[in-house]
Amino acid sequence: MFAIEVNDLTKIFGTLVAINKLNFSVNEGETFGFLGPNGAGKTTTIRILTGITQPTSGTAKIFGYDIQNEIISARQSIGIVHETSNVYDDLTAWQNMIFTAELYHVNKAEREKKSKELLEIFGLFERKDNKAHEFSKGMKRRLTLAMGLVNSPKLLFLDEPTSGLDVQSNLIIRDVVADLTQKGVTVFLTTHNIEEANVMCDRVAIINKGQIAAIDAPEQLKKTIESVQSVEVAFDKRGLEQMDELRKLPFVNEARKEGDKIKLYTEDPSAIIEEVMTYAKQKNLKIISISTLGPSLEDVFIKLTGLKARVGAAYVSD
Amino acid sequence: MSVISQNFGIERVLRELSAAWAIARKDMRTYYLKPNIIVSGILFPLFMFLAFAIGKNAPPGTLIPGLIAITLLFSASSIEPVSIPIERRVKTFDRLLSAPISLHSLVFGESLSGFLYSLGIACLPLVIGVILFSTSIVYALTLVVAMALTAFCFATLGTLFAAYPTENVGEVMSMLNTVRLPLIFISGVFIPISAMPQIGQEIAFFSPLTYGNDMIEYAYTGTSLFSPLLDILALLIFILIFQFVANRLYKKFNT
Ligand SMILES: Nc1ncnc2c1ncn2[C@@H]1O[C@H](COP(=O)(O)OP(=O)(O)OP(=O)(O)O)[C@@H](O)[C@H]1O
Ligand SMILES: [Mg+2]
Repeated sequence: MFAIEVNDLTKIFGTLVAINKLNFSVNEGETFGFLGPNGAGKTTTIRILTGITQPTSGTAKIFGYDIQNEIISARQSIGIVHETSNVYDDLTAWQNMIFTAELYHVNKAEREKKSKELLEIFGLFERKDNKAHEFSKGMKRRLTLAMGLVNSPKLLFLDEPTSGLDVQSNLIIRDVVADLTQKGVTVFLTTHNIEEANVMCDRVAIINKGQIAAIDAPEQLKKTIESVQSVEVAFDKRGLEQMDELRKLPFVNEARKEGDKIKLYTEDPSAIIEEVMTYAKQKNLKIISISTLGPSLEDVFIKLTGLKARVGAAYVSD
Repeated sequence: MSVISQNFGIERVLRELSAAWAIARKDMRTYYLKPNIIVSGILFPLFMFLAFAIGKNAPPGTLIPGLIAITLLFSASSIEPVSIPIERRVKTFDRLLSAPISLHSLVFGESLSGFLYSLGIACLPLVIGVILFSTSIVYALTLVVAMALTAFCFATLGTLFAAYPTENVGEVMSMLNTVRLPLIFISGVFIPISAMPQIGQEIAFFSPLTYGNDMIEYAYTGTSLFSPLLDILALLIFILIFQFVANRLYKKFNT
């Protein structure tokens, strides 16, 4: 059985097609990422899968339960971390935890144990008796995460879990998710942070304008655009003209400045290296470093979403 | 086999009820002291009532049943129209909509907080009547039942109006007021139903406040327009209709 199974799921708001015939399934125990730019339809998908919103057409099942007719049974084993940190400002951290546990029918002993445990993990136990309106943005985010876990879910929806968090909190979340995965929990995560998808997910779906552009393991996705390779070079002297000159070399598709290095996109890295050597000799430049790089998940993302690169940047997709 | 499934059914109902109770307690902690709830739930009926009582030459004690009735109307229907739009705005409402409970329990739990609030508030005129004006109560138990049913009926009405999908408290409140303000004039609170023109009397049948007020009046004086049993039946029917319609509206707007 799949944890999530989605068939032709479509949601239309007025005339706007927010998601368009989505098809995918998530295995039990898998960490599945939904990677897409703003407005791609990530939150809409989660809202439909958790029964907050009804789909316009199509079906979906959570652990075999139909989301339109049997969602209440499915919800018992679902944890949701909403996009906004929707905590009750007038309740204390502790009351927020207990209330959430009560909504999920967690018994008294268990909800107190679990609340304490989670508040400790997320570094909020000392502040448990403070009202949430006294919390910083990051603290509210962490409280939202703790609330999403209080019913010990088998399936966890995380809608941009790390937005607004500092590095340390980010690491806590990665640890928590890794720990849950160990215990067999399925995680459905949305993000526009490519690195996050890369390190946390078993598989990633790239979604754009309501449609899935690709679904695969991060490494496999990178392979699909193997042709996007690059050579990164640093010279001892830098000059404005270098970019233009390098861009004109044979085999170079595009050139981009990356800090003190220049990144040259190509389909043939070895040919480029020779060209760069010759160029350096002509211009009397010393090469400090040169290396070839494979495609990054970012390259895949940009290619698949048809995102136009910033001025002077490397990607031109069609 | 049937025993097991029956147990499962009871267990499910108990779980739903305790979640509804949790929602009600959350509302109590969060909203009971919000200024706009105090204004529209307590001060509003009080001033409304004073405005009418001053013009009348009746002994103050006889006005107590009517005061209780409109206090119940305003306080019971003031919690959800404030709390639900606020929760929509801060997105905590999504938590309630995605919890493993039925919409019926959600509607019920929300109404429960308005119900308890208004019973608490309505004790004020009750106690004032007993202490200051030594108003006597003929049927105490009937009064309790009358107040409870009236409170629950209007709490459910408040939840029903709060189904309107807005994040703006004022929008729900003004819609609600176009209904509940006329109610106090056509339900026999200030003008006895028998003294109303024919058309007014006919409209009065469709007001739940008519029955609540009538039954409270009965508890205090022993006389009433309808029999208390009819009042109870009418209030129960209104509660069921409001609960059902509210459920439908939350489902409809929740898309
Ligand atoms: N209630 C709504 N009414 C109308 N349009 C909506 C509604 N909710 C979402 N949309 C539209 O659906 C599209 C997808 O929105 P969604 O919130 O799912 O995007 P997202 O991928 O979560 O974006 P972000 O990264 O910004 O959170 C957007 O164009 C949005 O304007
Ligand atoms: Mg979103």
